[in-house]
Amino acid sequence: MKFIVSSSYLLKQLQVLGGVINNSNTLPILDNFLFELSGPKLTVSASDLETTMSSVLEVESDAEGSIAVPARLLLDILKTFPEQPLTFVMEDNNTIEISSNHGKYALAYADAAEFPKTVELSDPSATSIVGDVLATAIAKTIFAAGNDDLRPVMSGVFFQFSPENLTFVATDAHKLVKYQRTDLSASEVAEFIMPKKPLNLLKGILAGSEAEVKVEYNESNAKFTFDNVELVCRLIDGKYPNYEAVIPKENPNKLVIDRVQFLGSAKRVSIFSNKTTHQIRLKIAGAELNISAEDIDYSNKAEERLGCDYQGDDMQIGFNSRFLIEMLNNLSSDEVSLEMSLPNRAGILTPADGLDEGEYITMLVMPVMLNN
Amino acid sequence: MNRTILHLDLDTFFVSVERLLDSRLQGRPILVGGLSDRGVVAACSYEARTCGVHSGMPMKMARELCKEAIVIKGDASVYTRYSETVTRIIRENVPLFEKASIDEFYADLSGMDRFFGTYRYASELRRRIIRETGLPISFGLSVNKVVSKVATNEAKPNNQRLIDPGREKTFLAPLSVRKLPMIGDSTYLTLRNLGIRRMSNLQEMPGEVLYRVLGRNGLTIRDRANGIDMTPVIPFSERKSISTERTFDRDTIDVQRLRTILAAMTENLAFQLRRGGKLTACVSVTIRYSDFQTYSKQLKIPYTSADHVLIPRVTDLFYRLYDRRMLIRLIGVKFSHLVHGNYQIDLFEDTEETIRLYEAMDKIRLRYGDRSVTRASALGVKTIGRMTNPFNGQPPIILAHRKQ
Repeated sequence: MKFIVSSSYLLKQLQVLGGVINNSNTLPILDNFLFELSGPKLTVSASDLETTMSSVLEVESDAEGSIAVPARLLLDILKTFPEQPLTFVMEDNNTIEISSNHGKYALAYADAAEFPKTVELSDPSATSIVGDVLATAIAKTIFAAGNDDLRPVMSGVFFQFSPENLTFVATDAHKLVKYQRTDLSASEVAEFIMPKKPLNLLKGILAGSEAEVKVEYNESNAKFTFDNVELVCRLIDGKYPNYEAVIPKENPNKLVIDRVQFLGSAKRVSIFSNKTTHQIRLKIAGAELNISAEDIDYSNKAEERLGCDYQGDDMQIGFNSRFLIEMLNNLSSDEVSLEMSLPNRAGILTPADGLDEGEYITMLVMPVMLNN
Repeated sequence: MNRTILHLDLDTFFVSVERLLDSRLQGRPILVGGLSDRGVVAACSYEARTCGVHSGMPMKMARELCKEAIVIKGDASVYTRYSETVTRIIRENVPLFEKASIDEFYADLSGMDRFFGTYRYASELRRRIIRETGLPISFGLSVNKVVSKVATNEAKPNNQRLIDPGREKTFLAPLSVRKLPMIGDSTYLTLRNLGIRRMSNLQEMPGEVLYRVLGRNGLTIRDRANGIDMTPVIPFSERKSISTERTFDRDTIDVQRLRTILAAMTENLAFQLRRGGKLTACVSVTIRYSDFQTYSKQLKIPYTSADHVLIPRVTDLFYRLYDRRMLIRLIGVKFSHLVHGNYQIDLFEDTEETIRLYEAMDKIRLRYGDRSVTRASALGVKTIGRMTNPFNGQPPIILAHRKQ
């Protein structure tokens, strides 16, 4: 087995795949890239058992063969090369020799047969989304997903496909984001929970991409195919909580405010909040929003006033400032609206402008119980 | 800078309060404490002490020793009220003070000598407290907390003592080492076995010998015996944990009852958290079996102050802990890792009804007292619940016998 490939081209592909590989693996074979050569096509794969990603590279070769190459070592050496052709030759003594303009390097390789087989999806449903749209959907939702091992379903993003729209939901039980596209649809109704790691990978690769992503899914797995890349991952098993039921329907108190100003104030004030609970207090009266925080342990205190457009009763509501800041950061509109009913019910944050046709974002943030 | 530290201690505080309420008790032996078989003496009058009674002693034994003593159950809320009156007077008259317990105060009078004689000032303060409250109080005045406290104990009852700067060592020298704060029964025994009886022996002891016997504490003890103590007067004490415990009149194995008590304790502590605007991130449960073997288990949890989160955790801990099929003497619940903050409502687990219920119950409790409303399951448990807010910056009310 022998092939010639451009060093920077190979590096670029491998760096993307490297994101799949965990830092510490129980199975040593997972520390490797699987190289499968078939004439001028080299398929490179990386896996952590949950997620397997592979991409097809064009190389100069007419040989066939499969080997597993140590990922860390290969990436480290590739990073040091200026652009140049590299020749990979498989030797008899279980090493692969790389020849560059500078010299020769030999890496011990493992048996390709040890590498876990990629899951084949049986009887999948399919739809397709433009890469950038999928990346946006992920970026808008993934930050709200939780990390709680006790509630694994909330550690992923919920994909809800239907003939009317595509909906993406993430929540950690304290905040929730629902991102909906009515301009897109799937052939049939389907729901599944995607784990965070493959989504982060997809988000990274697909941002700004015009490529059409083919999404296939069944009960247990999902597969994303685009350009020369294929990503297969296991889905999170379990029932996603009924999130529609917790979105308050009647919200008589509506605040509309400049997003950047609101975000800036929340950030500044939260510096003075308790370092563990990050709680801030919003007081809304008339056309004025008062944001305050206090860290009693250190006698730190802050208060800011902002002009806003408010319709409703005067009210006070407490939030974890980190949730608010994350949400406001994640939006890109000029103005946002915060709809509330009572100090102990969720606040609904939506962008007031800047959305595409058919794009809807609803963010929910649960308050903290204030004692007055 | 030379410091001047005043230590004030109300003499037989609980007894004095009882005497104030009922003058017939004057001059008679009095025991304050639990009346049941398991009760211990929380405080006793000097008349009772002559019979050999001391606080911390089982009530049964004390009654045997002093048959003519009048036994009073005591009311912590009344004592707290009197303690607050004394605190108020002290607060008005000194620049910086620390309330070390319900009947004990430290005040920092450093630098006041220039304007008043500190001793004269302290004497006036003592007279004023006696005049305004009718409670006997003693004080010790010296350069640090330890020497002042020892001086107070030497001055008692109802007296005062000044240790002139530089005379600390000579003052302490002839006293028994037992009188030094920090030396309890076991340390005392260790020291006596070494042949150390008086403070003067300790003063002459080489530090390394004490270090070998008592570890790092040995060095602190040596410093203190020499009248050296740099601990500052701390005006505000922030609670690091809140807890409650219950010793049964009769040891029990009734798991249903134990669960009920745990739920009642948790409910009450959770209310204390909410009232104080606090959250806990660590719950622990303690059980003591009838053979005095004590076990406890703790659990880290996300910050919370909600009953319905805490009660299942506590119950669960209890079941994991209770594995000896033996009678239980005591159970207790403790919340630690406290931070300022309010309960973060959960989107899915907390219904609006639950949240509103808590708000309503807390409102009722704030107005009509801790025990005015509880879960039905906790109704059978009578005496769980405290009278005061644990987060008022004051030290917990510890009964006299628990001071050690």
